[in-house]
Amino acid sequence: MSHGYKAITWTPFKARYDRWILAGIALWLIAFVGVSYTTQPPGESFTPIQALMRATGTLAFAMLTFILCIGPLARLSRRFLPLLYNRRHLGVSTFLIALVHAALVLLWYHGFSEVNPLASVFASNPNYDSLAGFPFESLGFIALIIMFLMAATSHDFYNANLGPGTWKALHMGVYIAYGLLVMHIALGALQFEKSPLYVTALCASSLTVIGLHVVTGMASFRPANRTALEGWLKVADLVDMEDTRAKIVRPSEGEAIAVFRSGQSISAVSNVCRHQGGPLGEGKIVDGCITCPWHGFQYSPEDGQSPPPFTEKISTYATKIVDGAVYVNPEPNVPGTPQASTSIPAMEPAQ
Amino acid sequence: MKRAHRRNHILIWFLLAPALVLGLLAAIMVRPAEPVNDVLPVELIGEAD
Repeated sequence: MSHGYKAITWTPFKARYDRWILAGIALWLIAFVGVSYTTQPPGESFTPIQALMRATGTLAFAMLTFILCIGPLARLSRRFLPLLYNRRHLGVSTFLIALVHAALVLLWYHGFSEVNPLASVFASNPNYDSLAGFPFESLGFIALIIMFLMAATSHDFYNANLGPGTWKALHMGVYIAYGLLVMHIALGALQFEKSPLYVTALCASSLTVIGLHVVTGMASFRPANRTALEGWLKVADLVDMEDTRAKIVRPSEGEAIAVFRSGQSISAVSNVCRHQGGPLGEGKIVDGCITCPWHGFQYSPEDGQSPPPFTEKISTYATKIVDGAVYVNPEPNVPGTPQASTSIPAMEPAQ
Repeated sequence: MKRAHRRNHILIWFLLAPALVLGLLAAIMVRPAEPVNDVLPVELIGEAD
């Protein structure tokens, strides 16, 4: 949070998560190289560098595909939230694997000419005006630069200094990088790889990422219906409000609102975490504080302030209960303003 | 700060999704009927050694 910075902080969970990442990377590389050697066609042979090049290339793409699925999956089911919590380490690991892939390509295909290898990537094949034979390596290289920018600025220090909006805009470049990588593979390996497995895997992974993002993106744009209660928005019936969890309401104007139930009281805050704009309503109340599902930033439900010594503040909203239903006033209070929570009548037990 | 990035997110995928699908289809259509795997023939490796 805002109190101070450490280079990298490992919790036991993060350490376990990182060990899984390393084990997965090692397993993929060993399995890929092993299978490549045992299934190579008669009369042809991989060099070790070529096998490693393919292994790191496919691994980096698979990791990026997985990373891009985590966000929408976490919106669809809370079971995926632990993956979302530590996605950053996975992203940096992906960049490092992609960097190894690029270094091997530069060494193997561009390292022995008199032209600068980086210039050779863009200039050795001038066939930019044709899809067949397109210099696909240039697409991968641009994607690598985007991934470098993201990995280099992944620490909270940059988030705080660039501002959450700019930081988030920069990191949305990952979608452009993914698009470039899909075309890098489609116009590269797909053009000379005999196995239909490559075509199937590329299409399946691309369509999965596209489908998940489009479906969850559209779902977040359904505005709430105003009711006859003078502009108040209906949140849900009280019986549907789960204890320590929230319902998210999206006014036709302004930001989404997260309406939480904590025991026998209802309170509402902005759905936007001050850290990276995470969806607070997809988090839960931990130790009396609303906890962001992305990186664990916390806020008091009563006044929207982070517990001391942290200083973040978010807007609060008025709520009320009418005929067994919860309503919220979409007019936000100034961030950090105390707002009395609404007490639930004794007849309505928490789920 | 606003969650304006949700709107940008939708906008990006609104443009990227059809572009990617079309790009993939085009790449598959220009794929050679007999793709050539770029592994080196054993004889060439022996020669290089």
